[in-house]
Amino acid sequence: MSAPGGGGAYSFSLTTFSPSGKLVQIEHALAAVSGGQTSLGIKAKNGVVLATEKKTPSPLVDDSSLEKVAMICPNIGFVYAGMGPDYRVLVAKARKIAQSYWKVYGEYPPVKVLVADVAAVMQKATQSGGVRPYGISLLVCGWDNHRGQSLYQIDPSGSFWAWKASAIGKNMSNAKTFLEKRYSDDISLEDAIHTALLTLKEGFEGEMTEKTIEIGIASVPTAEQMEVKSGERLPATFRKLSEAEVRDYLAL
Amino acid sequence: MTECSFGITGKDFVLLASDQSAGRSIIKMKSDENKIRQLSPSLCMAYGGEPGDTENFVDFVERNLRLYQIRHNIELAPAPASAYIRRILAEAIRSRRPYVVSLLLGGYDKIKDESHLYWMDPYGTKVKVPYTANGLGIYVALSTMDKYWYPDITREEAGQLLKRCIDEVKLRLAYQFSFNAVEIDKDGVREYKLDGSA
Amino acid sequence: MGSPMEMNGGSVIAMTGKDCVAIASDLRLGQQAVGLSADFEKVFPINNQLYVGLPGFATDTYTLREHLRFRVNMYRMKEEREITPKTFAHLLSSTLYEKRFGPYFIEPVIAGIPAPSAIDPDPKPFICNMDTIGCITTPKDFVVAGTATDKLYGVAEGLWEPDLEPEDLFETISQTLLAAVDRDCISGWGAVVHVITKDKIITRHLKGRMD
Repeated sequence: MSAPGGGGAYSFSLTTFSPSGKLVQIEHALAAVSGGQTSLGIKAKNGVVLATEKKTPSPLVDDSSLEKVAMICPNIGFVYAGMGPDYRVLVAKARKIAQSYWKVYGEYPPVKVLVADVAAVMQKATQSGGVRPYGISLLVCGWDNHRGQSLYQIDPSGSFWAWKASAIGKNMSNAKTFLEKRYSDDISLEDAIHTALLTLKEGFEGEMTEKTIEIGIASVPTAEQMEVKSGERLPATFRKLSEAEVRDYLAL
Repeated sequence: MTECSFGITGKDFVLLASDQSAGRSIIKMKSDENKIRQLSPSLCMAYGGEPGDTENFVDFVERNLRLYQIRHNIELAPAPASAYIRRILAEAIRSRRPYVVSLLLGGYDKIKDESHLYWMDPYGTKVKVPYTANGLGIYVALSTMDKYWYPDITREEAGQLLKRCIDEVKLRLAYQFSFNAVEIDKDGVREYKLDGSA
Repeated sequence: MGSPMEMNGGSVIAMTGKDCVAIASDLRLGQQAVGLSADFEKVFPINNQLYVGLPGFATDTYTLREHLRFRVNMYRMKEEREITPKTFAHLLSSTLYEKRFGPYFIEPVIAGIPAPSAIDPDPKPFICNMDTIGCITTPKDFVVAGTATDKLYGVAEGLWEPDLEPEDLFETISQTLLAAVDRDCISGWGAVVHVITKDKIITRHLKGRMD
């Protein structure tokens, strides 16, 4: 009684292992990620950059409403490869997690803590009844007082790792090879942004413009910036680059 | 409340004594009620409070400590047992139906070779003390204990101190109590004979 | 029965100094006017550089201490770091506010020095207190709580001065506490003082009037 799609009976029920010890639906989710538009992240010595290509299926789509790089809380940002709708759900959950953390501790979560919580949400979808795994991989960048700047990747299985540089999506293996060659430990954030654009350029179909690229950066604040003045909020350490800024980087 | 109990520790033993009256308000209905319960091989509780609540509460604690012993094949030491009992009281106090029970918990920790005595009120206040009293006893006998107790007190001296406290209760209180007592040490729990005080 | 805040008695005070903080409490626990214990500590260590005092209703002192130990241990494992005084204050505040309509009868006092970090290599000493439902106040000089609050304010106002060295701070906080609890029937019976500096903690037990 084989189901269509090649996975056999094990490709439907998530909570069932195949005889070889695989949860086939997770592999299908990874396939969805590999088909998605390329995203990448690079950790520099004074910050982290996330970059992604943002291509629309038709020139008639109003791309001003599309957002692939998202701020989760003032010190953390996300980008993804895979299914857009699943990403929006996870971004909403992650923002809620960050705000609940703030309600208890009066500060936003360290990157690793948020990553672990979001990864737990993704893991739950591989073990619960009546759900499918999230069809995305996430790149998470941010800064916190404890570990400084960091870059994490979370996969549909719920596993996560810290990276110096990583890429996910359609072009990930080429992009990773490219990053391996280009990366150095003392790279500056400015250089990392250029390297990110160069990496995206490899295998980019069509023209790279401020409309087809999105960039987010996490930077290391100065001690002065992190001093809390009464009645004021701490400045954000994560921000998205404006279209004008992206245009300037592309022109260089 | 017309109740009275005492606890005295020495280096390797605990004495627990309690009055034996059961009644309501100033009416005594019974004067040979045992209000000291053995909870586990070397743990006892002298309790007072709202009748009904007391029996219910003590039964609950006793059965749960027994269950722990059956499950884990080891008796719960006095310190963790006191934490467990406190927790029941503290959770109940903020519930719809609190237990109105106050108690003295005396036990011997066979692993650490220590005697333990705890004072608890119905709110779940717990204090570890070398000697203490509950009910009317705190008003007339604590100062007697302050005067005569010392860390190396022997069993004989502790027995004499207990007698002094009971005499003080008889002398100063209008209400007439009869007492019974237990002795707890490394060999377990035994009834402690109080001569001339029945 | 009276108010739970005055049932068991007890007081806590914390003061800032030059690169140090001190926190102290009395040791009495009573049932109304009757004293039951002279070694009931109300100040507890959270980590190497942070202490919390929980004066008020003694059953809640115990309950809250256990709850905080649970929360801080979970924090330590999850975050792989020690909680800072400020973060701990928020954690305690939200814990108290959770019970807004059936509060713990505790007025906490917090004292600590944050560990130095890359962004803040020379952190300032931290003290704060809060009410029973977690409203935080962070003064520069001292905080007091417990049944001798009004007396503590009076004495501390007179004795405290800025930038005291650890030994002078110890003397100041000790004298303040001992003087204040002598005028409060349900505080006293000895005291314990912790002075927290960047590299060590000095804990001393004091004798007071035992009446």
